[in-house]
Amino acid sequence: MATKVTTPGKKNLQTTLEIGKAIRAYYEGVKEAKSAGKPVIWSYGLVPREIFHAADAPVLYLEHLPLMIGAKQLSGRYIQLAEEEGFSRDVCAFHRCFLGCAVAKDRDPYLEKLFVSPDLIIASNLPCMSESKSFLYAADHHNCPYYFLDAPINTWGKDIPDYAIEYFAGQLQGAIDSMEEHGFKVDMDKLKESINLTKKMMGLWNEIDNCRKTVPTPMSTVDGITAAYPLIQLPGTQLGVTLFERLLEELKEKVEKKQGVIEDEKLRLMWFGVPPFYNMGLFNYVEKYGAVVVKSMVEYIAGGAFDPSKMDPKKPLESLAYKALVDIVNPTYPNMVDFIVKAVEEFKIDGLIGVVKRSCGLLPGYMRLVKDAVYKDKGIPTSIFDLDGLDIREYDDVTSKANLDSFVESLLASKRRQ
Amino acid sequence: MGTLETMKDIFDNPNKIIEEWKKDGRKVVGHRCMYVPEEIIHAAGMLPYPTFGTPEPIKKADSYFQPCACEFVRNLFDLALDKKFGFLDSMVLCNTCDAVRHLYNMWDTYVDSVPCYMVNNPQKMYDESGFKFYRMELEKFKKLMEDLSGNKITDESLKKSIELYDETRKLLKELNDLRKRDIPAISGSEFLVTSMASMLMPKEKANPLLRKLIDEVKNREIKNADGPRILLTGSIIDNPTLIELVEDMGGVVAVDDLCTSAKYFWYTTKPNNDPMDAIVRFNLERTLCACAHPSEDRYDYLQELIREFNVDGIIYFNIKYCHPFVYESAIFRKKLEEEVPTLTLEVDHSLSGLGQLKTRVQAFIEML
Ligand code: SF4
Ligand code: SF4
Repeated sequence: MATKVTTPGKKNLQTTLEIGKAIRAYYEGVKEAKSAGKPVIWSYGLVPREIFHAADAPVLYLEHLPLMIGAKQLSGRYIQLAEEEGFSRDVCAFHRCFLGCAVAKDRDPYLEKLFVSPDLIIASNLPCMSESKSFLYAADHHNCPYYFLDAPINTWGKDIPDYAIEYFAGQLQGAIDSMEEHGFKVDMDKLKESINLTKKMMGLWNEIDNCRKTVPTPMSTVDGITAAYPLIQLPGTQLGVTLFERLLEELKEKVEKKQGVIEDEKLRLMWFGVPPFYNMGLFNYVEKYGAVVVKSMVEYIAGGAFDPSKMDPKKPLESLAYKALVDIVNPTYPNMVDFIVKAVEEFKIDGLIGVVKRSCGLLPGYMRLVKDAVYKDKGIPTSIFDLDGLDIREYDDVTSKANLDSFVESLLASKRRQ
Repeated sequence: MGTLETMKDIFDNPNKIIEEWKKDGRKVVGHRCMYVPEEIIHAAGMLPYPTFGTPEPIKKADSYFQPCACEFVRNLFDLALDKKFGFLDSMVLCNTCDAVRHLYNMWDTYVDSVPCYMVNNPQKMYDESGFKFYRMELEKFKKLMEDLSGNKITDESLKKSIELYDETRKLLKELNDLRKRDIPAISGSEFLVTSMASMLMPKEKANPLLRKLIDEVKNREIKNADGPRILLTGSIIDNPTLIELVEDMGGVVAVDDLCTSAKYFWYTTKPNNDPMDAIVRFNLERTLCACAHPSEDRYDYLQELIREFNVDGIIYFNIKYCHPFVYESAIFRKKLEEEVPTLTLEVDHSLSGLGQLKTRVQAFIEML
């Protein structure tokens, strides 16, 4: 009998368990809405969620679906289905996985609980080519309308010019018009309120981040990745604010009591690339060395590295446009590299782990830039190796652990020498 | 030397063009992609120079890019690291695929000798607000080209450049039309070489040569023209080897939808008193690249090629990890196959694994 090598991550916080429950409740709500005859939107990428909340629209987020079934180790079967439809292994495993879910004739009971067919698809090219292309197949398959939001890449850094904001805000207005055409009513007052709530959430996330900078860290990335869920799915909602308030409270208490994730914290690591969703226990693996993965870059997608003072409820679409365009994953590179370099310093990171998901068109391209920048600016080393965080068929447990062992051991040895 | 040979000589030795151009101290601006408006570069008195790769294996670039990035882009970066583009005064990229965006990141960070600039073009066509955004980007680009060249770009000079480039496109299209015949006047590989040579050359030189060539070949008939007529599409092909392979296997490459061929010349600029607006509309009123939206447009365009060139079969040559075309071929496959058999092949830009490709192409051609 084959030994099961993958394990779920060990969470340490009460609030992240609550967040997990909120995720499930959210999808139950989407399913119920569909059964009650409400139209459902499919969306993904960095499409600002606030426009959906302002319409009380039930939305299935298609980067989230693979991630959840990935955590249940079910992704392989659906990825395979997409490959049978003609999608080569070269394209994003997330998108192959959701396309497999979209075309599957029978679905696992766990997926069936989450899955609803679309009445409208709204997608964007933010941050990568896959986000803008795979939905075309899904829209064809389900014979449903789609709206494409074109986002300029960020060639400006933090100072996005007005004409770019205006363009993307116009694209958002187009998405709203398309929603209204297909049975949704977007309440602009509610949208303004959503901007206020997002602003609050971002402020809270920054405070949560400050707690995580403490040594020993009260929260590892295993909790962090679940904790980032409201950033991606619940921006602009009271539920998102409430969950972050509770999380902050819990962390403050731990900081005060100097309660770390592990007892004797010797090394602080940062993860760059897609986490191993089917094997989150890999993050805990390094704890035997006294190492903690304090932070992972994916927790900061969708506004986590964002300055909330830029949100103006009087200009809701412009605020959302700025937030989306300045996101660290929107190419080109300066914002991403600056963010990582700053995080390495502020979080007192000893080493960076860069994992290459070969089917990702975006993140592997940053590896060398990030590695050089953190080494040049902070003298911090990076270990880069292959690991597809979603396609369990490609996972090699022995090699992945060996890579982590040698990196952590070399970091410890160099610490001892200091 | 006949004009076809002259074209081949230019294709094989593009350095001669550069040397001649640079003799008078004029500048050369490299670019990658047809969304870079060559007319603006030309109107500033500089030579727009499309950069192509070589079939050489990658050396230095692999320690910068992960091997899962498009090999064509890694190849270009390899050449840049090797200072093979040292003659360029600037490099210009535009917003197409993930790989090109990363090429910009890498070039901007690691290649000091040639500055790199990114034109931020929308990926959504026919959108008035996109026209406005792109116009702003192009105004910035125009200013950059003026500063680089030291020459002012006037409406008049820009109109002249547009006229000149449109003339090249028309001539290439006229030559390409000679492939519509049952027995084409020019083979697929000869056409690709001619098209790429015309892209590399100053258009002042390319246009008379193209006129001469059309005259020379218009009554010609290529040999071995009784095989099935193939439409080639997919990622960039910057070397005739793949086309020759199809021809050697008995296929007639009747038409190709490549950035180095039909995509470059299929459309011309619409009359417009405002030349900047003409360029904006030229680039945003057509979906020629698989990166852009709506994709239905590209589907209709492929249909047009199938009809006009009487196509029996389609081959997608997708460079490994070329996401735009990998998606497109998967999305179009079923629909296309209802009309003409379609074969999708993954290829290495360095043309390794040709033996295996040959077998698959041969089986496909025999099936047709
Ligand atoms: S960024 Fe990478 S992992 Fe995410 S959707 Fe795009 S290709 Fe997939
Ligand atoms: S071959 Fe494909 S991935 Fe490579 S540069 Fe061209 S479009 Fe981009």
